[in-house]
Amino acid sequence: MNRSLTIALGIMLTVVLSMAGLVLIPNWQFREMQQHKDDDGNLWPVQLEGAEALGRAEYVSLGCVYCHTQQVRPPNYGADLDRGWGFRRTVPRDYLFDKPHLLGTMRTGPDLANIGARQPSRDWHMLHLYDPVITSPGSTMPPHRFLFEKVAPSDRAPERAIRLPDDSGWILPSARAESLFAYLRSLDKSYELPEAPQ
Amino acid sequence: MFLVYLVIWAFTLLAGASAVWALAWAVQTGQFRDFRAGAASIFDEGEPVGRVTDAFPGEGKHP
Amino acid sequence: MTPAVAQPLPEGLPGDRLSRIQIDRSCRQTVVWYMVSAVAWLLAGSLLALLASIKMHTPGFLADADWLTFGRVRPAHLSTMIYGWGSMAGVGVLLWLQARLSRVRLPLPLLLPVTVVIWNLAVLYGTVRILQGASTGIEWLEFPVEVLAFIGFCMAVIIVASVLMFVRRQVKHTYVSQWYLFGAVLWFPFLYILGVVLSEAGDVRGVAKAAANWWFAHNVLGLWFTPIGLATAYYMIPKVIGRPVHSYHLSLLGFWTLAIFYNWAGTHHLIGGPLPAWLVTVGIVGSMMMFIPVITVAVNHHLTMAGNFHHLRTSPTLRFVVVAAMSYTVVSFQGSLTALRAVNEVSHFTHYTIAHAHLGVYAFFTMMMFGAAYYILPRLMNTEWHSARWIRVHFWATSLGMALYWLGLTWAGWRQGEMMNDPNIPFLAIVEYTKPWLHSRSLAGVLMTIGHVSFAWLVWNLVRQRGAALIGPTLLKRRKSA
Repeated sequence: MNRSLTIALGIMLTVVLSMAGLVLIPNWQFREMQQHKDDDGNLWPVQLEGAEALGRAEYVSLGCVYCHTQQVRPPNYGADLDRGWGFRRTVPRDYLFDKPHLLGTMRTGPDLANIGARQPSRDWHMLHLYDPVITSPGSTMPPHRFLFEKVAPSDRAPERAIRLPDDSGWILPSARAESLFAYLRSLDKSYELPEAPQ
Repeated sequence: MFLVYLVIWAFTLLAGASAVWALAWAVQTGQFRDFRAGAASIFDEGEPVGRVTDAFPGEGKHP
Repeated sequence: MTPAVAQPLPEGLPGDRLSRIQIDRSCRQTVVWYMVSAVAWLLAGSLLALLASIKMHTPGFLADADWLTFGRVRPAHLSTMIYGWGSMAGVGVLLWLQARLSRVRLPLPLLLPVTVVIWNLAVLYGTVRILQGASTGIEWLEFPVEVLAFIGFCMAVIIVASVLMFVRRQVKHTYVSQWYLFGAVLWFPFLYILGVVLSEAGDVRGVAKAAANWWFAHNVLGLWFTPIGLATAYYMIPKVIGRPVHSYHLSLLGFWTLAIFYNWAGTHHLIGGPLPAWLVTVGIVGSMMMFIPVITVAVNHHLTMAGNFHHLRTSPTLRFVVVAAMSYTVVSFQGSLTALRAVNEVSHFTHYTIAHAHLGVYAFFTMMMFGAAYYILPRLMNTEWHSARWIRVHFWATSLGMALYWLGLTWAGWRQGEMMNDPNIPFLAIVEYTKPWLHSRSLAGVLMTIGHVSFAWLVWNLVRQRGAALIGPTLLKRRKSA
């Protein structure tokens, strides 16, 4: 009888304990975590502001996380580094300011933890967002034409517009597209952290 | 932050209290004593053990 | 006491025992509305699922508005299915089971129907907000934070109703299903509130939020849907075939081990990720320990069913419930194995995981709810299902659809993972490889939707009382209580 009591007492408590064990203790472990100051006095990771922060919200709102991860697994576990998705594995400190977290669980598309370093071109990103098959033939990423205004072909390029490669006109990125690019461009973990040498 | 910990601890206490309550009750009423009666508790004289209680419409052998 | 004899009433209880008919009648309004709402969300969720599935192989399909983009339709699909279909069907079944097992009328006859309305509005509001782009971005918790208040209120009422039924119960023994149902009713609001709080709280930092995310998401399946599903199986299988559970003590052991181990398994969704190694290891250990409750449940159900499999031909409830119970065993074994690092290295980030998730939420939980609905609704409406043929269409379309879905994506996902781990294969070649399998998924989705439409048609006719008046075995004697 007493044994039953002990077991059952544990029941609801285990849920509480698991929450403490899986969330609160790791969080406590991170309590002293701060930005890392490199030799030049720069702080890493950088807290996003302005267009980059807006772009992150856009990334959340459009649900990019359902097809793209932002995490680089360690060497000899998967081929993340060999595929050139990163310079080093990612570590908890890289995500210091992430809210919501965007680690992701699905790679219908490639990892984006370092997309800003891997592909810095504004033209490339804008064309890719407008219609992914322009830059990546066979891609199943949905086109995001609703983030652009299409302008008829003319000799004078509208300001900040990008020419479509088939010469059918220009695309003019909206503020949302610009901020999304600013965010993607900011995804660059080439800085060094002491706990994760390159 | 204070609020977060308040919520967490309130829940911990609530969960713990409900566990104690459930346990005390379970032991008092002998839930861990008679397993065979427990298994039979979903049957009664109207639907006794041995009576099949579901069939495709119009196809069952309705007694 | 022998197993064949019904439990005698405790002495000194006032009045006579309520008949099943009276209990069922007291449930009619609330439970039928929960189930009908659930079916409506099932149809909405199926539509969103088809949209999302088609978009995966034909990305230009309906892609010119942001509210229809894949990244919004997919979470809208998940949320309507989890909070609309799954949870509302679950609550309906849970309330009915508790009333029956306690042998009391369903309490709160005014407040409980109100929760149906509130719950529906909450899911509708949350889904619209996701499509508008106001998702929180946290998987399984995409609904805006304010939805918590509404569903939280409903759950509070449901907890009160559960406690009232328990306190007023007219049966001495607590049946194993009641343990599971009580667990579910207490665990879910706890998980939901903490899931939201931990996600929003400013001092939960970075990847600790990811841990909170998957602690929550995995437990919604493990401590909400799973206990409701198993409670249903533990009631329906013995009740339909008229034979008590084979090893009752084993079933209690299964409950406690599930309660202890399941909630530690969530972080296996983050294997290889940027988290402390010990945290992921804990998730793996929790997943391995799940073999205990799963095996006890599987053995128990099999031994109860032994010698009674011929009833599968004649009982729609039993068909769905047994398929669901078998799926529970398969999905749990698969889940534990997937938590192994070597397996996870390949399966993580692929369609394999999507197939696994559907095996759990669909082949196990959804099929279980279908089975329960076939048993419960005719008894509440006093009407037979109007057509055996549509039930068969429902069963075969959903079963074959799910099988096709799981086989195709499991195979494709595994190959996808192997190819991703080979850096010499260009990424777009992998995308190309998966396309035929994504088409097979859409086909599977069409099959399942055909099943859902058949089911909705049956339910529609039932609530309009278009079937024969029920004179089946369950309402053998229309006796009035003395």
